[in-house]
Amino acid sequence: MIRFIVRRLVLLVPVFIGLTLLVFTISHVLPGDPVKLAAGPQATAEEIASLSREFGMDRPLPQQYWHYATGLLQGDWGQSVLTRRPVAADLKIYLPATLELVFAAIFLAILIGIPAGLLSAITANRWPDYLTRILSLASIAMPRFFLALVLQLVFAMSLAWLPLNGRFPIIDLPPPAITGMLTIDSLLAGDWLAFTTSCEHLLMPALAMSLSPLATITRMMRASTLDVLQQDYVLTERALGLSQSLIILKYVLRNAFSSTLTVIGLYIGWLLSGSVLVETVFDWPGIGLYATKAIVTQDFMPVMGVTLSIGFIFVLVNLVIDLLYGVINPKVRYQ
Amino acid sequence: MTTPSTAHPSRWQNWQRSLYRFRQSGLSIAGLAIVLVLLVIAVGGSWIVPFPEHISGGINTAARFKPPSSLYWFGTNELGQDVFTLVMAGARVSLIAGFGVVMIAAILGGLIGALAGYAGGWIDDVLMRLTDLMLTLPSLILAMAIAAALGAGLDNMVFAISMSWWPGFARLVRGEVIAKKEDLFVQAARALGASDSRILLRHVLPNVMSPIIIKMSLDMGFAILAVAALGFIGIGVKPPTPEWGSLLSLARGYLPDYWWTAIFPGLAIFFAVLGFNLLGDGLRDLFDPKARR
Amino acid sequence: MKQFKSLWRWVAMATILGAVSTAVMPQAQAQTAPRKILVVASNQDVPNFDPHVATGYSASALLRNLYDPLVRVEGNPPQVKPHLAESYTVSADGMEYLFKLDAKAKFSDGSPVTAEAVKYSFDRLVRLKKGNAWMIAGIVDETSVSVVDARTVKIKLAKPFVAFPHVLPWLWIVNPKLVEDNKGTDDGQTWLKSNIAGSGAFVLKRAEPGNLYELEKVASPWKSGGGNLTGAIWRIIRETSNQRLAVQRGEAHMALDLTSEDMDALKDKPGVVSVIEPEFRTFSIKLNTEHGPLADINLRKAISYAFNYQAMLDSAGYAQLMVGPLPNGIFGHDPKLAVPTTDLDKAKEFLAKSKVPNGGIKLTMVHVSGLEQQRRFALVLLDSLKKLNIELDIKPMVWPDMVASTASPDKMADFFPVYQTANYGDPDNIAFAAYHSSRNGNWQNPVYKNPKVDALILAGRAETDQAKRQAIYVEMQKQVVEDAPDIFGVLEKRKLALRSDVQGFIFTPVASNAVEFFPLSLK
Repeated sequence: MIRFIVRRLVLLVPVFIGLTLLVFTISHVLPGDPVKLAAGPQATAEEIASLSREFGMDRPLPQQYWHYATGLLQGDWGQSVLTRRPVAADLKIYLPATLELVFAAIFLAILIGIPAGLLSAITANRWPDYLTRILSLASIAMPRFFLALVLQLVFAMSLAWLPLNGRFPIIDLPPPAITGMLTIDSLLAGDWLAFTTSCEHLLMPALAMSLSPLATITRMMRASTLDVLQQDYVLTERALGLSQSLIILKYVLRNAFSSTLTVIGLYIGWLLSGSVLVETVFDWPGIGLYATKAIVTQDFMPVMGVTLSIGFIFVLVNLVIDLLYGVINPKVRYQ
Repeated sequence: MTTPSTAHPSRWQNWQRSLYRFRQSGLSIAGLAIVLVLLVIAVGGSWIVPFPEHISGGINTAARFKPPSSLYWFGTNELGQDVFTLVMAGARVSLIAGFGVVMIAAILGGLIGALAGYAGGWIDDVLMRLTDLMLTLPSLILAMAIAAALGAGLDNMVFAISMSWWPGFARLVRGEVIAKKEDLFVQAARALGASDSRILLRHVLPNVMSPIIIKMSLDMGFAILAVAALGFIGIGVKPPTPEWGSLLSLARGYLPDYWWTAIFPGLAIFFAVLGFNLLGDGLRDLFDPKARR
Repeated sequence: MKQFKSLWRWVAMATILGAVSTAVMPQAQAQTAPRKILVVASNQDVPNFDPHVATGYSASALLRNLYDPLVRVEGNPPQVKPHLAESYTVSADGMEYLFKLDAKAKFSDGSPVTAEAVKYSFDRLVRLKKGNAWMIAGIVDETSVSVVDARTVKIKLAKPFVAFPHVLPWLWIVNPKLVEDNKGTDDGQTWLKSNIAGSGAFVLKRAEPGNLYELEKVASPWKSGGGNLTGAIWRIIRETSNQRLAVQRGEAHMALDLTSEDMDALKDKPGVVSVIEPEFRTFSIKLNTEHGPLADINLRKAISYAFNYQAMLDSAGYAQLMVGPLPNGIFGHDPKLAVPTTDLDKAKEFLAKSKVPNGGIKLTMVHVSGLEQQRRFALVLLDSLKKLNIELDIKPMVWPDMVASTASPDKMADFFPVYQTANYGDPDNIAFAAYHSSRNGNWQNPVYKNPKVDALILAGRAETDQAKRQAIYVEMQKQVVEDAPDIFGVLEKRKLALRSDVQGFIFTPVASNAVEFFPLSLK
């Protein structure tokens, strides 16, 4: 078991190196001149040249890459031309906001998807099943940004049941930042009011993001539960005296767990990458908006920083999922 | 004289059975219907819309923000243009763009995957490492970065998105090529002295067409969604191209009072993606009954 | 089915438990505080707090509350009022200014604002050549400012500049001690980016980049008077309709970027005050007079007469059509100036005289990606050009790229849309920035040059006699219209919304969205 974990961890290193190399290459292949941008439109040729030297742009590419990669390890992820702050500092502010959104979306997907899938399987081929399946298909086709707008239109603008945008009411001070995720920080600070109000702000954006993973979890739960209901080992265990419901619950829970893991692995990249679509609608200050602003102003370092963070998170999350699979299904460990 | 055994159904009979299942599946039929309607609209273009001049930038500022009526079925926008006309025109834009994305991704990914699968060894290793790395990168952000660097315009958008789309096809084709590599007809061709590239192009690839086409049809809906997403962010088309995502983005500022400028383009995206998804699922079941429902 | 009864029971219990706990949770309430905090909604971020580097209206808004200048500008029409300088005198030739500083003025660390501080600040601004230094480029250099005594400063202009008091509100005074202590290697730029060394009535309490900035009033500001605010929050809301909704719902007290559609939506909403006022902010489409088909003056005139000004006005909403190159209402503007109107016959006449009598060409236009008004105006132009059988290729670009394209005539598109904001309420602001040939290669005046106009502009800068000055500007406008270097567009009215409980707000047509918090109160 330990060998399995260690082996997977060691494999991380070449993957991370590969990612940095890929991102570095792509950013240098794309047209655009970050030095000219940083120097500003009034810069003279000498100013551009000196700035170029400052950024290290005049050195050969492999040297620039080495400089960049070693910088990453030391916590120097470059500077944003626009905000004039280190990218690492910016990421510390924006990344938790998006992570909170993503976690909430996954949470909602599990919360609604697993019971829905169960329901669908139990009432197979009757109207609740059909309804659930149609809703699932609709959920996957629904664009996140459109749903976000509709939710905002209905629940915030027309009914005023939920706040319009943002993460927290403006005038109040948010709880002390420990994780950067307001919901968790509120709980850690014991501030129940802050917690509920953060949840109110989180609800619509998380819901808009959760629809696709929700549909997939529902489908998976339905399929695996239908399987379970038809298996022979269920009959065997029944014969041995275990109550029907408990048997089913045992296998269903295990399926629920593995479906959840699968969906998280499938969707974590999608959720992180596309967060900007929902962040724009709700003025949610996350990495999506940060990266988009940087892309539009051709500010390369933040874009690279965000891309790498998401890549790293994706790899790490999938590693953890693989390890957890190993826990629940020992056969996997020896592949 | 033995009568031909009916134990093994002929290919034609298999087809009949699959088609029957397809016809029985209400959802697949619905998908087909939606896609056919979209195709008709896309092909019809300026001939079937009430205000064709609005598609190429014509404006009528005296008729701004009119709600839906018998004259303007979906109302008018901030420049007096008919929203119904723009949404219909957007069908052509989205279909062409979506198709462009899956096409380029299929060709590029297919070639890379075929090369990797057939050549094996270190070429396979390197190409697959690259493909896997590409798959870990955030696709939307990558597409945005490429599109922004290339500048505004539908073709740049399509190219940018397909650059983040090809890895899926590469993986698929590589798998298929590896499976087919050891088949009898390939060994025969090799024995007869055919060159590797000839074998690859004339024997292997044609036999992997089926899964590629299935994936293309499954991806089409999501490609349209990706195009709309980029348009919504604002990295995309040049005015006055009526692209659904950018129409939706413009309409944000007019909520809630002029809701029709947003709701109809949004619904158009939804139905287009839904239609292609349903059709894609149906086609997959048609061609590849092994796939689980 | 019987075996699922227990399963159903579990599901049912879980759902009920969930529903009950949600209902029982206390509703979150906004904390009612004795604090009076003004919430301002804007879509502009403030990435840099260095008063000698930052530009943009959002930076100006926060800087003018955190720092103080020598004089202020207030009211409609804008009047120069004392600030750090309680009084000043000008020499007869207009070249020497003597400022007497207010004895009460002190920095946030308690030290007095001295003439030394003024000299230090001006020198730093001139040295860095960033931010608002362009306003005094060529006028003030590192020898101009001198300390007469602790509270008296002399500024000797290198060239005559009648509008000098009007640019002073944007040149802020920093605390030399703090800046020197944190000088680093870049003249304190890194430190001042996020730290404040000012004398303003407010200090920075918290900064969440991309989200909000909170200012807090100092315990005893040196200025007398002022409103009852204890603080202010600059909140970033990107979508203008969301800004409007925030004001409607009382979640914000001011919205700064509203469109005409937003103002219409706010018309009868309770508790909201609409401010729609004319302002000296022009929008024109600059034509590439040096390169390409538009170098031909007849084609330019043809397009000027073919343009659909009414459509532009309709899509702009609350606005006025420009009458010539200077904003309506500014000193020196000639309301009787003869400008092109939509006249298709005249347009075709000019077209016939041009090098492309039947049109048939394709021209290019760029506009700032995401700026909706510019997109609309581009479409109006596209539609207008169709009548001359000319096609228009519209390219949205990011602003830095657009700026880069103005470096030389061959890089510039045929049509280049420009908003000129009046930073100071003097005709020289726009005349110089937009029509003097020294600004060629800049986005404000990429290519246009006419030595006659240059001479008139310089004369206008120096002339102290009001009547003579007026005549100079009238002549300048006539000449510019003759040359047809722009399609003169609209003056959009400034559109703001306030909650009715905001008191003390006076509209100033210069940088009206850079809100000054000190005089404001909340009921």
